[in-house]
Amino acid sequence: MTVSAPDMLVGASSDFLKRFSPFDRMEAEALDFLAQRAVLGFHARGSEILTPEMGLPRHFHIIQRGKVQARQTAAGESASINLGPGECFPIGAISAQRPSTNAYVALEDSFVFQIGADDFLELMRISPVFHLFCTQYIASLLSQSRQQLQNTFAQRAAEQQTMTTPLGDLIKQAPVWVSPDTTTRAALEKMAESRIGCMVVCDETDQPLGILTQSDLLPRVVLPAFDLARPIEEVMTRDPRTLPASASAYDAALDMATHGVRHLLVVDGEGKLAGVVSERDLFSLQRISLRQVRASIEGATDIEALQRAATDIRQLALNLIAQGIGAEQLTRFISALNDALTHRIIALALERHDLYGVDYAWLAFGSEGRHEQTLSTDQDNGLIFVCPELVEKEPLKLRLLEFARDVNDDLAACGFPLCKGNIMASNPELCLTPEEWRHRFGKWISEPDPQALLNASIFFDFRVLYGNQRLGDQLRAWLNKTAKANSAFRRMMAVNALQVAPPLGRLRDFVVEDDGAIDLKKSGARLFVDAARIFALHTGVGASGTVQRLRQSAMKMGFPQDEVAAIVDGFHFIQLLRLRAQHLDTEHDAPGDNKVNPDALNELDRRILKEAFRQARKLQSRLRLDYQL
Amino acid sequence: MNWLNRFRAPRQDAAPAPAIGELLRRWDALPAPDLGRPHFDTRYVVINTEASGLDLEHDRLLAVAAIAVDGGLINPRESYYARLEPDPAAALAGLLEFAGKAPLVVFGAGFNRSILQRAWQQWLGVEPELSWLDLFWLMPAVFRPGLDGPTRLAQWMKIFDIETFQRHHALGDAWSIAQLFIALQGRATAQGAGSPRALAELERARRQFTTPA
Repeated sequence: MTVSAPDMLVGASSDFLKRFSPFDRMEAEALDFLAQRAVLGFHARGSEILTPEMGLPRHFHIIQRGKVQARQTAAGESASINLGPGECFPIGAISAQRPSTNAYVALEDSFVFQIGADDFLELMRISPVFHLFCTQYIASLLSQSRQQLQNTFAQRAAEQQTMTTPLGDLIKQAPVWVSPDTTTRAALEKMAESRIGCMVVCDETDQPLGILTQSDLLPRVVLPAFDLARPIEEVMTRDPRTLPASASAYDAALDMATHGVRHLLVVDGEGKLAGVVSERDLFSLQRISLRQVRASIEGATDIEALQRAATDIRQLALNLIAQGIGAEQLTRFISALNDALTHRIIALALERHDLYGVDYAWLAFGSEGRHEQTLSTDQDNGLIFVCPELVEKEPLKLRLLEFARDVNDDLAACGFPLCKGNIMASNPELCLTPEEWRHRFGKWISEPDPQALLNASIFFDFRVLYGNQRLGDQLRAWLNKTAKANSAFRRMMAVNALQVAPPLGRLRDFVVEDDGAIDLKKSGARLFVDAARIFALHTGVGASGTVQRLRQSAMKMGFPQDEVAAIVDGFHFIQLLRLRAQHLDTEHDAPGDNKVNPDALNELDRRILKEAFRQARKLQSRLRLDYQL
Repeated sequence: MNWLNRFRAPRQDAAPAPAIGELLRRWDALPAPDLGRPHFDTRYVVINTEASGLDLEHDRLLAVAAIAVDGGLINPRESYYARLEPDPAAALAGLLEFAGKAPLVVFGAGFNRSILQRAWQQWLGVEPELSWLDLFWLMPAVFRPGLDGPTRLAQWMKIFDIETFQRHHALGDAWSIAQLFIALQGRATAQGAGSPRALAELERARRQFTTPA
């Protein structure tokens, strides 16, 4: 008798395990370790094996036979995956030593191996194969999460763009109408006042009787010199085309094409006027392409056209998320389009302001300077100009300020709110010559009080958006040289950056604010941005974007590549969550406030968010190390 | 187990009768198990035998195997297997040592229990008093498969899709029986039979119900 009973049974377990990945590739010793410790249990159909309420998972499970359902419940939505023989759970929760966010329930009578949590961690330690398996599993959650995000938006985008949208949903404003005895003049005045393309005429029960559109005016009113004092019913088109609110956009398009009209009246169940749908409303349903938006920006000749383009940019951002574009590309697209928009606004303003021969540049600060604009970014801009000898500075500056005020107002009209802190080019304090800028920056560096540090965190992320690029480059070169030479300043910046810690809890996953939410900007993105700025100033990296700064300075500082990649991923994930929150918010017409409630996130997002914050912590400990804080 | 290995290693030389006597005394001194405790708090021992045939009169016991089911879990390291040759006393004493006074679980007590008790009597001179549970009766009592439902071990294994590394091997079949037993525990608990005593009562009722008086 050479083989003992335990050997035989352990052998049976390892033979079983070897039929499945990753155990088939596992090192012999590690597999033996696992098989030695795997005890077999039974879970009757319907019984809960592991739930979030059970607290820290004490066992790692491998299904031997049967079926186990992993149920995920987040924000009222639930999803489930069925696990079969050879599959294991929970990987993330037990690795992170926190309660599972899934509930695992036996879907059939199931035999399930289990090992203790300590043995699981030991197995991770002794088996590179198993470690890789678990790590990849957790990493795969990231792409799953992105996938999920895309699905959500694809659905939303599809809903928005579909021609099956009911007309009732397309009506943008309450109908404007007049009674049949209204004078034509009064009706036209009302039309102009409401900036609408047609006027509907209704009887006293709101039933539409007729319509008068802009294109009717020339042949029926202007050319025949129609007496505007006469009632509108004499010129209107009688029995206008109507469709019920439940009809689709497709029906409307068909009707317009068939009858050659540009406006349709939408009526409710009782035949009362509910609104007007125009041909343009239907066109806007169709997918907006990047090229179209770009072209419409560049072809815009007035602010109204640019306002429409600004709306399209938001719409486009939604589409891009649906198409699966990551946060990095997405923010760059938004940034590029916003740049184009700003360019156009400046170009239009230059038609009214003669700056010929003036050497200047329009600067973008803050997130715009970093190419990291999200959808609810207010303006942060300034001007740098050269005052030639023999030219009086004040009159030149006044001209620039007038021009800047126009641009600031136009930007505000296009959805970039005026900066509450007045960080705008029209502020005389921010319309400066290179010497003045250097003086200001130099003062912050030599006297880094809290306000100076705050200023540095906004203004040092400048870039040239319009005008002479060299003015920006020279200022950047000077700034890097000065900051590099002043380690006390960088140290103060590091102290400042370390004031906010990643919201990771000791007991709970996240430390939340009073409202139960995490501010993704203040305690998320900012941690990355601040650290990257200090690294960039230290290593003399010229880029203003956080990711570029991290990548370029990491190379100089000898950071391992994969560590940097993980940090960048973490930053992108937080940015993606911010964009998503803003999207969801803008759709509800509330301002994006960067807040996310971790309880409302799904399992995957929460797990990845936690990992992202860990990356921020890593960055901070690097700062601590560098500046001995 | 460790103790047993030490005990079995030197046995080539002479029969360690004193050691077996000591082992039996210790076994005797063990407290009787509390049969009213819930399954998760009870250590059961699944026992299986391998014989030269199924005829109690003529066939010999060849090997014994046991697997503990403690708290509803099967731990492969908590198992025992021994062939009777060359030292039947050591093999049988080792089984007793492994089982302690835990309630025993077998499939087909009629044969297993009889052949084991005869062997204990023959080689050790003892008739240990133990509580026995028979899955032959308990499986249908708990899973209620209907009149022409499964009766044989192979049939139950098929229903539960249970595999083993070696059929008709004492330990190989014990491994299957142990798996049947943990499934049974799960279901029986849901039906209110949550302790060894409750299982024993269920078995008795089943025997009375199906065996003609």
